[in-house]
Amino acid sequence: MEVTREVVFPAPPDEVWEALTDPEQLEEWFANDVELDPREGGAGVFRWDNGEERRATVVVAEPSERLVLDWDDEGSVELTLEEVEEGTLLHVRESTPEVATALELRACALAVSHA
Amino acid sequence: MTDPTGRVFDALADPNRRYVLEALAERETATATELAAELPVTRQAVAKHLAALNEAGLVERRRQGRETLYELTPGPLGEAMDWMAGVGAQWDARLAALRRHLRSRRS
Repeated sequence: MEVTREVVFPAPPDEVWEALTDPEQLEEWFANDVELDPREGGAGVFRWDNGEERRATVVVAEPSERLVLDWDDEGSVELTLEEVEEGTLLHVRESTPEVATALELRACALAVSHA
Repeated sequence: MTDPTGRVFDALADPNRRYVLEALAERETATATELAAELPVTRQAVAKHLAALNEAGLVERRRQGRETLYELTPGPLGEAMDWMAGVGAQWDARLAALRRHLRSRRS
């Protein structure tokens, strides 16, 4: 099961990468309190004002190109950056291993409808 | 198809029916009127889709006064829809905040 989003930001990939990996900047848009070692194998802790806390491990860190975090509870999030004329295209994919049955069911339904 | 799995496949094959399912996933319960207000389909069409989804066991309904309330049937597909709607909304909010943040750094 996954959710994807694609947005273009009017900023170069280096700047967007910093916003994705610098804990101080992450605290401006992603979570309220962030600890992160943004290197492969590094650990991250994200806390929100509502009491929620999530931990992650950095699986892939290719500066200005690709960041993959594995959530300790489950699932993962992949962020890829692509330089485009208007700035940077950011592609987000968050996936969870659960409800695989529902996804397969849905995929089958779509396949059936296109047959 | 008359077997239960076949009805689910039929129910999901129509894109408008999937929109109804996703719109319902974002609320606990809704009436056909409420859903029609947020989708580009008529109330009549929404009611037909809800009936098909009910037939397939994907939504449940109960009467409240003169209205019929619909909600996702608890279970794997309902959870999937809830997860997608929740995480999708979360990312929309974060990316909007990221956009504001990047803009504020440039000025």
